[in-house]
Parts: sequence; structure tokens; C-alpha cells
Amino acid sequence: MNLREAQVVIACVASRFGASTVFPILQHQLDKSVEFSTPVTSYRSLQEGVFLLRNDFPLYSGGVVHHAPLLVALMSAFNNENMVSLLYACADALVAYQLIAMARSFNNSSLPSWVPGALYVINPLVLLSSVSKSSIVFSNLAISTALLTALQGNWVCSAVSIAVASYLSLYPLTLLVPLLALLRDHKLKTVSTTAVTLVTLLLSSYKINDGSWNYLFSTYGVIITFSKIIPNLGLWWYFFVELFEMFIPFFKAVFNLFVVSCIIPFSLRFHKQPFYAFVLCLCWITLTKSYPTLGDGGFLLSFIPFFKPLYGYFRYSVISALLFIHVTVLSPIFYHLWVDLGSGNSNFFYAISLVYALGLATVLVDLVWAMLRIEYDKGKPNLNLKLTPI
Amino acid sequence: MRFESLCVWAFAAFAFGVGGNSIDDELIIPDETESAGSGDQTCSIFGTSASSQENIEMEQLNTSSIEENVNARTSSEIENAGIVLFENNSIVRYPFDEELTLKPLPRNFMLASFAFQMQSNNLTVGKSEVSHDAYRHYTVFPKSLSPILEYSQTRELHLRFTHGRWDAESWGQLPHNGTKSGGSGVELWAVIEAASRDEAFENWIMLTNSLSGLFCSSINFINMEKTTYPVHSFQSSDQQPIPIFDTSKKAYLLRAALANEPICTENLTPFLKLLPTRGRSGISSLLDGHKVFDSNWHSLSMDVETVCDGDTCQYHMDANIEMVFNVQNSLARAENPIPKPLGDAELQCDESKPHNAWECFPLPQSKHIKFRLSELFGKKVVGSNLISENPSKVCAQVSDSWTVYLDIGDSLFSTDDNCFAIRDNELHDLHFQSDDTAHVVKSDDVPLFVSRSLTGYGQDGGGLRAVFRNPNNVTVDAIYFESLPWYMRLYLSSLEIESEDGLEIGDVIKSTFYLPAIDRQRPTHLEFNISIPAHTTVALSYQFSKALLKYAEYPPDANHGFEIESALITVLRPIRSEMRTATLLLSLSTPDFSMPYNVIILTSTVMGLAFGTLFNLMVKKLVTVEEADRKAAAKRSIKAQLIEYLARLKTNGNKTNQEKKRQ
Repeated sequence: MNLREAQVVIACVASRFGASTVFPILQHQLDKSVEFSTPVTSYRSLQEGVFLLRNDFPLYSGGVVHHAPLLVALMSAFNNENMVSLLYACADALVAYQLIAMARSFNNSSLPSWVPGALYVINPLVLLSSVSKSSIVFSNLAISTALLTALQGNWVCSAVSIAVASYLSLYPLTLLVPLLALLRDHKLKTVSTTAVTLVTLLLSSYKINDGSWNYLFSTYGVIITFSKIIPNLGLWWYFFVELFEMFIPFFKAVFNLFVVSCIIPFSLRFHKQPFYAFVLCLCWITLTKSYPTLGDGGFLLSFIPFFKPLYGYFRYSVISALLFIHVTVLSPIFYHLWVDLGSGNSNFFYAISLVYALGLATVLVDLVWAMLRIEYDKGKPNLNLKLTPI
Repeated sequence: MRFESLCVWAFAAFAFGVGGNSIDDELIIPDETESAGSGDQTCSIFGTSASSQENIEMEQLNTSSIEENVNARTSSEIENAGIVLFENNSIVRYPFDEELTLKPLPRNFMLASFAFQMQSNNLTVGKSEVSHDAYRHYTVFPKSLSPILEYSQTRELHLRFTHGRWDAESWGQLPHNGTKSGGSGVELWAVIEAASRDEAFENWIMLTNSLSGLFCSSINFINMEKTTYPVHSFQSSDQQPIPIFDTSKKAYLLRAALANEPICTENLTPFLKLLPTRGRSGISSLLDGHKVFDSNWHSLSMDVETVCDGDTCQYHMDANIEMVFNVQNSLARAENPIPKPLGDAELQCDESKPHNAWECFPLPQSKHIKFRLSELFGKKVVGSNLISENPSKVCAQVSDSWTVYLDIGDSLFSTDDNCFAIRDNELHDLHFQSDDTAHVVKSDDVPLFVSRSLTGYGQDGGGLRAVFRNPNNVTVDAIYFESLPWYMRLYLSSLEIESEDGLEIGDVIKSTFYLPAIDRQRPTHLEFNISIPAHTTVALSYQFSKALLKYAEYPPDANHGFEIESALITVLRPIRSEMRTATLLLSLSTPDFSMPYNVIILTSTVMGLAFGTLFNLMVKKLVTVEEADRKAAAKRSIKAQLIEYLARLKTNGNKTNQEKKRQ
């Protein structure tokens, strides 16, 4: 770890921890904003879980707690708010460091290894997400750990990390597929290790939750059934508010299928570029998951610097950049117009969630297109060639 | 909602005096004085129907013969029925008592409390009313209620219809220490005997549906979402154990409230029908929808309890109707239905301020007042109830600056304690007179003042803040009960206390019962055991966020907001009393109700766009544009193929024709 990389990591801790301790109100405001906080990631409900756990109230019998039992138990070990801030800052710094380590592992890259980390640190979406103490930080950490250790060939660590990530937020389980492509051998062992770890985590949660399985619905059931209808950046909340009752089960199935639909195609089509396939899958999950936040988007965008050779092929880079700016600027405004002022209506915010989905979709399409182009050009960019899919 | 609209119609019809030819006619619930339907039911004692005043007056002529008359008829009926109800053959004695208490309150208000008590005949435990060989004799206990209680295995039933605001600051403690009044709207709780909680809930739903029909209100809207099983609150005050008929079963306490239920005449009419007098004689003859619901605060309550002594059980029923009205407003309205300014002779000016022919600051309340009960209620008391051993009682709780007379046929009577027994069948009236209306009997001290409000401004979240003020010299122990709908997602961890005396949460809240809400299945159920030290004010506040509802779950007036039922405070020490906070209006964010198809189309388009484009890129091959063009050109289109085929057919046909011609 050279000086510049150390600076990046320290800057990460300092910025997160500083923002949390100097402006504690910022955390409350961000935690109430729908862009950074959802029922399944909000720090407020995590605190509620800790409170209920400490006072021996039922934790998962209804209520607002949708975090994994072990995470709640972990957080209940911290009594000091500053310690919690430090924990979040360190988790985020670890992600930044892992991005640096990933860049270092691609040693043929023209990119200085500290750049992805630095971009992650200064990315406002990630910064705000971390300050809001959204639990998405922990699943992001687990995902990046899995990815880094897979790149390094450490399949045990990778399998355990992806199991932890799936334990925390379910959808990363699908990332096991591109991860297997990334690991050249020990595939069966990886799958079984992941399964064993996951089962262990679930069993210990069962144990910790006073021998009750009711946490399964509160944590994963809520994700699968889209049951907490609270405005967010996803495509579905308004859909299920407006849809006629009898169609809802069908469309819930459609949305769930939609999440997994592209995982295997990406992994198969780009099995020669497994890292790239992994990022594509991550992007697809970010687009289709049931409770997305801008923190997911920020984490995803931190992987874009790794694909510097593809930049020349991007067709919609301006459009996607504009779409993202559009979302980040207008989303809080439109939400405020609807919910606080009452001068706008729900369609305003719904439009923003559509724009966000479009923004992510253009990034995804651009990445796929660019990779197909560079495959066609056999690694030697020929930007003047006009190609079309038939 | 049907009942609500019915209620509004009934109101409108009354208010505007809709004529008999109106379309709305069939919706009007007839006034109890006009309802002839139950006339013959009451006649069994009177002999002839007493539906009009002339009839009553005619009967008054031979008042002396009534008792024998009644006696003879009743005993002959009893003989027909083949059982002996009462040992005493000299007078009719049914377990029924009624009492009207009138109590002037500060600022020209008046509290009128109607109390009715009745008991059923003995129940046979373990013998169902539905079996063929069984029969039941009903005397004063309402026949409509008893089967409902039996079907649903209800051992205790408490029903409240309340509306308006009780001003505890100036009126003091609620009547009956608050145990007979509910939160705004309808409140219902019952003790049901059942083998399991599910069975208890099934019985509960049966009970609510029956009561809904009986009382003409939306009690049938009570469902899982609104039902709680109170743990510390709503316990009966007397220490008698609840009788269990089948020892293998248990007693379950269920409770629900409908805060948005309007209370109106169509709830009063069935209420009066439960009384043996049917609102036709005794003090209940005063009750008239116009007057009861024109009050500032009114409460209709009904409590049924099963009381067992060994193997014999009885239902004991208390029915109470209470109202607070402004005497001057009621008098003015009776005298002059269309309000107009007072003449200068009638104005009472504040003499501490400048006053002359042109200038007058009216007194906040008139000092001198003189009125009759019949002016307030629009009619006189129609005799005694005539079926009880105890005469109907009318009491006035007044200070010594008031004088009260009973008026029977223009002769006035007075008593020392201002309580009057109405014995005979004449029209009775009460005269009130005071030279200092501000001097009233002091109400009991309120043990605790409680108010609750919503905080925050957004439609996605907010807070609840309950303020407790103990004005007494002793610590008050109480239970705070709250049931909140599931779309208020409560964060109990955000519970904060504000206190000028530096009290901590642990000093005030001794224990907590908390059951979080389940979406569409269970409300949030919260009970705090609180203890407020003497002369302190404490505010408890906590935060919640709001969920969105589905399209069809919003009421038609979604932007009006959702009524949050009142919280109950049961004071345990120093005296046992109950009080409720006002209801709250919670506004939820609403979707655009015109959007269903647009949303389906737009969302599906974006999903299809993303998936379609990616799918296209992944399954297709990349080629240069020139190559693609060449391939497209090389590939003959279907249209071209078809034209070619047709052309070939045509040439073939021509050839065969030519060959035929040649032949």
C-alpha cells in the first residue's frame, strides 16, 4: 500500500466519520430520505431492532425491523453512537481499499491503482449513503470482499463473503453465478462452502431469535413479496399501489423473475471476462432489486473506472450522465413537492424512479455494447468501424 | 360507509323537515315518538297504546285504577305462561331502575345523565337458547340482545357511542369517573369465552356483525386490523371473577374502536328500543335525537355483565345516556329557531366595562337564569316507568344558589335534596331558577389531564406527543393504552420524555407492553404503566413513518385523512378513573388515482426496454453496417418471394391455356 493509497483510505474514514460526528442531523435527514433509506436498510429501523432486542420485545413479530438478526445483535454490542459512526466509516474505507486492491490485481491496466478508491471516496452518492448509516454498506463490503478474494483466487473467503452478503440482503446470492466463472477451479467446493456458511448463518439467527423462524419473512419475505409499499427508486412501488388486487401475485412473480433473468445470460455470454460479467450482474440487480437506494447506484458506478479501455465505445455516456444528474437533483425536490408541500403529486416522484431505471439501463446497455465491440475488434480499438447487431 | 350516508340523510331530513313526498323518505328512521311499530309491545302493561299525549291524559283520569289494572293483566299473563315470576302478587316488580341527574356546570352548561339498570331472568347454564325444547322468558332485559350474547359466548359487553369534547379543565371529572364514556366514535370491548384465541376472534366478529345490525352503525367494519387484546387496560373494576360456563375454556378480552363513526339519531333509536319503556314513559321519554345530538358532548353507553351466584346466572345491564349542552343556546334555539340578535332589554352587559344604550360587552355567562326542563328537552317527562318497584327518579345536583321545583299539573313541589320520585302517570316538569349560575356544585378533581397531538409536517412520517399533567398533591399511577393502525410504522426507540423537573423515562414509565403492528393484520398495541409525580407535567413523544396503502384501500375521501382512535388512560391511584384523549387526523400521502393503466404501461415499457435491448445485444452477432446491408439486400423479402411465385403461377397458367387452345 503506497502513500497515495493510504491517503485515500484515511480520507475515506475521515470524511465519513467527520460528517457523521460534526453534522449528526445529516444522518437523521438522510435516513428519512427515500433515496438513501428503505425499510430494509434504514438505520432507524436497525436502531429500533437494537432497542427491541435490549428490552426483550418481539423483534420480528410485525413492526419495522427488517434487518438480519445477526446484524441487529452486532449493532446492539455498540453503546456509543460515535463507535457506530466509526464502524460505518471503517466498513466504507475497507470497500475503498478493496477497490484499490482490485485495481492493483489488474496490473496491466493503465489506471493508477488508487484512482477507483479515490473515486469511490469522493462519490457523493456513496458518501451520503454511508453517512445515512444505511446497512447497504455492509452488504456492499461483503460483495466487494467476495469479488476481491475471488480475483486473488481465495475461494473460501470468497464463498463465505458472498454468503454473508446474501444473508444480509438476499439478492447477492445470485452473484454466486458470475463468481463461479471468476474462480477458475474449486467450483463445487465454493458452492458448498457458500451453502454451508449460509445455513450456519441462518441457523445461528434462528438460535439468536429465540428459536423462531419468523425472522425469515421479516427479512427476506419482505424483499421477495414487495410488501412494504413505501416510495423508493424501484420500479415496483407505484405499480403495486395502482395495480388491481387480482393481478398482484402474477406481477410479483414477474418482478422476481426479472431480477434473476439476466444473471445466467450475462455469466454465459461473458464467461471469458468474469469480472466484467460480475459487474454486469451487480448492475442488473441494482436496476431490478426490490428496495434500491442511490447507495447501490454509487457502489456500482465505482466499478466503471475499471473499464477504461471501453470508454471509447460508449454511445450514451452523455445521456446516462445527464439522467443520473437529473435523478439526484430532481428526486429530493419532487418528493418534497409531493409529500411535504402537496403541490406535486405522486407521479412526479414516480417519473424520477423511471428516469433512474433508464439511467441504469443505459449504463448497462453501453457496457454490454462496448464489450461486444472490443471483442469484435479483438482488443485493438477501431472506433471508426460502424457495427450493428443482426 | 352505507350507514354513514344513511345517517347524514336522516340528519338532513330532520333538519330541513323533509315532507312526506320526498324521495328520501324511506331513508328516515322515524322519531321514537312517532314509531308505532313497538307500540303494542309496550301495551302489555298499559292496556292501550300510549302513543299520543291525549291517550295518556285520558288515562290519568283513572290513575287510581291503573295499578290494579296492570296487576291483573300481568298476573293473567303469568298464568298463561305457566310459570311464576314473582312471589309478591300485590304490585308488579321488575328489576329495572332509572334515574335522571341534572347538574349545572360552569358557564351555563348543564350535564344531563340518564341511567338505566336492568337485570335478566335467570339463565340456565349449559342449556342453549337455540335448542327446540328450550324457551326463554324475557321481562325487562332486551330480547334482541340476549341471543347475541349467547351465540357469541359473550360474558361481558361494553359499547360506547361518544361524540364531542369533554372540557375537563372547567367541567371537572367525567361522569362515573369516565368509566361510562368512550373515545370519539364507537368503542366496543367484550369478554368472550372460547377455547382458543382464534375461536374468540370468530365469536367477536359474530358479535360485532350482530351489534352492527342492532345499533344501525358500522361496527361490522371491525376486523383483525382494528382488534386488540388489552393486557392491563379495560379490566373490570370490581374484583368479581368472570364466570366461565365451560371450564375447559378461557375468557378473552377483545377491544376495538371506530374513531370515524358519526353518532346520530339512528343509533339512539335502537338504543331506546332496548329499554323496557321504549322511550315512551319514564325519564327516557325526554330523549329525542334532536336534543341529544345538539349537545356539546354526548355519550351513549351500554354495559352488560354476567353475574353468577352459584349456578344461577343473570345478565346485568347498565345503559347510560349523558350529554352536556349549553343551556342558553338550547333555550334560544327552542324559543327562536332562526337566530337573531337579542333585543337591548335582554342583553346582559358586563358592568365592570363601559355600558350604555350603544355599548355593551356581553357577560360570558348570564348570572340569573330561570328555565324549565321541558324548554330544554322540548317535552315533559311522561310519568313513571310503571314497571319497576322503584319509581323513576329525577335529581338535580345544584348548589344553594339554585332552586329546583317539580311541576305536576301546575302544582310545584320541592325537596331537601332536590331529588324527586316520579310515581304516577302524569306529565312532570322541572323548574330551575338561579341568581348566581356560576355557583355550581364542585365537580370531583381530575386526577390527570392528558392531551395527545400529532407532530411533524410531512405525509411520510411524524410523531405522537402525549402531555400528562398531574395537578394533585399525590403521585398518580395510570395505564396508558394506545392502539394505532398498521400504516403508522412506530419507532419505539425514538421514545423521548420532556419534563421540566428533569424526569427520566424510567422515572415515569414503569413498564411497557408493546406488540408491533403487522401489515393488514394487527394494529400496534402499546400499554405504558406510568407514574406521574405530584404537580408535574410530562410529555412523551415518539416517531413513526407512514406506509402507502394500495389503490383500493384508500377511502373515497382519501385526502381527508385517517382518524386515529383516542388513547385511553386508566388512573389506578389515587382514585380509579378513566379518560380518553381526542382522536387525531392522520394524513397519508396518496397516489394519483387516475393512473393505473398509465403506470402499468410506463413501468412495463421501461422494463421491456432494458431487457429487450440487452437480450438483443447478447443473442445477436455484431457485423459491420455494410455487411448487414449486403445481407439484407441478398435476403429476398417474403413479399418479393410471393410476387415471384404468383408471377410464375400466372405464366404456368397461360401456358396450359395455350396448350388447351392448340388441342
